[in-house]
Amino acid sequence: MNNKNKRSLVFRKMMFVTQFEELGFGALQSLLVLRGAGLEHVILLNVIERDRVAMHRGLGYDKDEERRLKEQANIRFIDWAESLFETGMEVGDYIVVGNVVSDTLEAVVAEDADLIVIGQRKRKMIEFFYSGDDIIELLRRSHRPVLIYKELESNSCTDTCLADNPFCRTLLAVDWSPACLLAVEYLKTMKTVVQDVSVIHVASPKELKGTSSLDIQKLRKEKRGRLEEICEALEAEGIHCRSHLYVGEPVTEILRAAKEFNASMIVMGSSGTSVWRERWIGSTPRTIVEKSPYPALIIPHAKEDTDQAE
Amino acid sequence: MGKKVLVVDDDPDVRLFSQAVLEENGYTPVMAKNGEEGEELIRKEAPDLIILDVLMPRESGIRLYRNMKTNKNFKNIPIVILSGIAEKSFLRSQKVLTEFGGDPVPDPEAYLEKPVDGEELADTIKKILG
Repeated sequence: MNNKNKRSLVFRKMMFVTQFEELGFGALQSLLVLRGAGLEHVILLNVIERDRVAMHRGLGYDKDEERRLKEQANIRFIDWAESLFETGMEVGDYIVVGNVVSDTLEAVVAEDADLIVIGQRKRKMIEFFYSGDDIIELLRRSHRPVLIYKELESNSCTDTCLADNPFCRTLLAVDWSPACLLAVEYLKTMKTVVQDVSVIHVASPKELKGTSSLDIQKLRKEKRGRLEEICEALEAEGIHCRSHLYVGEPVTEILRAAKEFNASMIVMGSSGTSVWRERWIGSTPRTIVEKSPYPALIIPHAKEDTDQAE
Repeated sequence: MGKKVLVVDDDPDVRLFSQAVLEENGYTPVMAKNGEEGEELIRKEAPDLIILDVLMPRESGIRLYRNMKTNKNFKNIPIVILSGIAEKSFLRSQKVLTEFGGDPVPDPEAYLEKPVDGEELADTIKKILG
């Protein structure tokens, strides 16, 4: 393993990718809680999609519109940056015309950012059909953790812990993949921010089929034991943790658990399924991101940085 | 050859504008497009004055400013902040960073809020460099 792979697991530099309508200053402010876990630098990124300024019939590239959109974004970023600077945070910004996924990954490499934060935009079906979902594409291509930020509904946010700290009550979904074990390591570095972790594993009903009740108890005991190991590791860092074993379809059960434990965020490792499988069959993280009302922090496999902006 | 002035700004329009003003007034401009590049050029070129933006990619002007003002070799290089960020916010950031355990730093020699006209920029530099 070379030095590039030995990254610190602290979120020191956060890339905040915004188109403004889906991710605003309120979201940014709530994430400043990460400062307690080592965050010191925020990079603001606004990508103006090419079709907003280019190839209009009979007009070609609309330079004036590009300038107007850039200035609009700049005014907002200056306002946000002033507030961030006043808290002692380092701030940088990028306003570019291009593609959200490629430009985000390029900026992440240039800045060596530790965390990407992005909001979910509502897209028309026709847009989705032609260009797919930026977030799914970003998850597929990013080698850095991606936080898909979603505002929790006010009725599911009844205590101040949830309102002030999106990490406060975390649901960690585990399958013991390398990415999910890395997620545990990330949570350890966030011990001053994460107050409560519910670790959940969803066993497949297939695992229980045709086995005796003794076998099922044995399976349960074995899985609970492994979950407890994770809990012990987190509790050693001072994070309150409880383990839970569910049985069923992973996405349904993870969302059920998130609701039952009044989670503020779902954390999970990316599945690492192959591109074609991901595209046609889907994966648990992908479906969680699409369906879940909760913010989701997806931790990818640790890979080299060099092929990130491929 | 006139005194050397380093301009650190990510906005190419501002770099172009500053370059023109500096050349018109007999200074030798040196250009950097972010804080990292700026620090490199400070070490290499030893400028007589730095015109510094605050909000930039890579390394912000806040970091570069603190690095310069706490370095015994560079702390006497005058710095003119030229930024869209309000002076009040810049000064507060320095105060907070000092409170967090950083070394105290003096205020910049001048603070100009963007946009600035050429005459104002030139006058500010003249006042500092004499």
